Amino acid sequence: MNNVGHGNSPITERVLSASDDMSAQLAGLRQVSVDGRVARETINLAYGFFTPLTGFMNSEDVHAVCNNMHLKSGVLWPIPIVLDASAEELHSNQIREGDGLLLTYEGNPLAVMDVEEIFDYDVEAMARAVLGTADTAHPGVGMYKSMRDRFVAGPVTLVAAPRFREPYDRFWHTPLELRRAFHDRQWLRVVAHQTRNVPHGGHEWLMKGAWFAANGDLGVERIQTGILVSCIIGPKRVGDYIDEAIILGHQALQDGGYFRRDVHLVSIALWDMRYAGPKEALFHAILRENMGCSHHMFGRDHAGVGRFYDPYDAHRIFDALGIEELAIKPVRLLEWWYCPVCKEITYSGLCGHVDRRQSFSGSMIRSILQDEVKPTTLVFRPEVFDATMTAAALYGGGSPFCTAEYLSSRPPVFDMPPTGSHAR
Amino acid sequence: MGETWSQQVSRPYCTVEIWINEERLGRLQDIGLAELAEEVLAGMRVLRIPCAEVEARELLGQCPAAKHDAATTGTIELLPPAVKSALFELVVRHGSLDVVRDYLNDVSAESD
Repeated sequence: MNNVGHGNSPITERVLSASDDMSAQLAGLRQVSVDGRVARETINLAYGFFTPLTGFMNSEDVHAVCNNMHLKSGVLWPIPIVLDASAEELHSNQIREGDGLLLTYEGNPLAVMDVEEIFDYDVEAMARAVLGTADTAHPGVGMYKSMRDRFVAGPVTLVAAPRFREPYDRFWHTPLELRRAFHDRQWLRVVAHQTRNVPHGGHEWLMKGAWFAANGDLGVERIQTGILVSCIIGPKRVGDYIDEAIILGHQALQDGGYFRRDVHLVSIALWDMRYAGPKEALFHAILRENMGCSHHMFGRDHAGVGRFYDPYDAHRIFDALGIEELAIKPVRLLEWWYCPVCKEITYSGLCGHVDRRQSFSGSMIRSILQDEVKPTTLVFRPEVFDATMTAAALYGGGSPFCTAEYLSSRPPVFDMPPTGSHAR
Repeated sequence: MGETWSQQVSRPYCTVEIWINEERLGRLQDIGLAELAEEVLAGMRVLRIPCAEVEARELLGQCPAAKHDAATTGTIELLPPAVKSALFELVVRHGSLDVVRDYLNDVSAESD
């Protein structure tokens, strides 16, 4: 089994095990509470999702990433991974470089951090470097501008495994677990599908098209290529699909037999979208490289928002990379639409009936779901529609879309054990 | 030639769009209205119910979450599914698209 991740670095886990009785040491550490984004990124760092990173970036790495899209070591990296803290909190807790810290999340111990550097950075410059804009109409800009005024760098170690609630617990897999799962399935190639949507017919064919592209020249005697559906779990806005509907909708594609069980795996990935278009596409590729994927599909307007990026900027950024910089291949895809002449969902790069195309517009799909009218099987597989509406009833207060009430009352996706360590 | 005065006053102020799937299409075929449903995506069709200005105001008054999108689609958006289903049932029962007034009357009668 190959456990080499991005930058030719091994995937390593930094998680205390149940046998590590660290309670006395933890009790003596100064504490800093972190928000959801930092908690999610701490977990990613500790499990190797961000290999070769083992902790939050120092000023040299942030500078190198912002200016050259590489770490100081020369490894390709497009987005700073930083822990922000307030100067006041650091001062009042007398936290200095060289200290050990206990990061807490929602009042419970999260991780131990060795403070290697405390530094300032211009967050507007960081936003411009990552997003290409400081326009506050871009949602990523707000995220950067909300950061506090100091950054704390250093490696992190989780004090225990996070506890995911149902149904997330069934879909949470670490990079090492995923690599084991791919190995057990005898997949030589794995193509990642990143998603924040309940899958409609266009998505299904996007995945199938990417599978064909990734499978390419492999023999047909045995299926050796798989699809990893990687559902992004992070902050939500009113009107987004609820996470439960996304995950269970994708699983319904497999349960309904539209994807064979031996070629399809649904998982979740913790990440706060920056909507950074091309740079975020590159980051997603690195994330899935660390998860063990050989290919990553990129459709139209991947990780984009509004009109800040050209719909295919996320494809073109890969043209600028050196061949050794990334051990995952992009699968670049155009749009899949329904053609009433071909009478099928077809690929815009193949279909000649452009004037007759029927595109899968997000607003149209949303309207169908809001009206609770069971769509035709080419729009939504019946199993996907049923799973979506069941998730809406179970988790969304009747709606498959986030409402203000859902966002204010939903239980957390994960939490940390209140005391001690509970390694998996 | 421009619209006549009578054409202008009879023109609907806006529409309510109702999704038509295969099951609903069959019911429209039974009453001869299937051709009024326009196919928009892979067999899913839209039936556009005309709505006069006074009717739109009453509908919006009853459904506070709904909105009239005057700028782009000219439709009443975000009507509850139950309202749209009731409108569709009235279309099938009356064999006509002019059902918004009937719906409002039914609601008014129920609340009396």
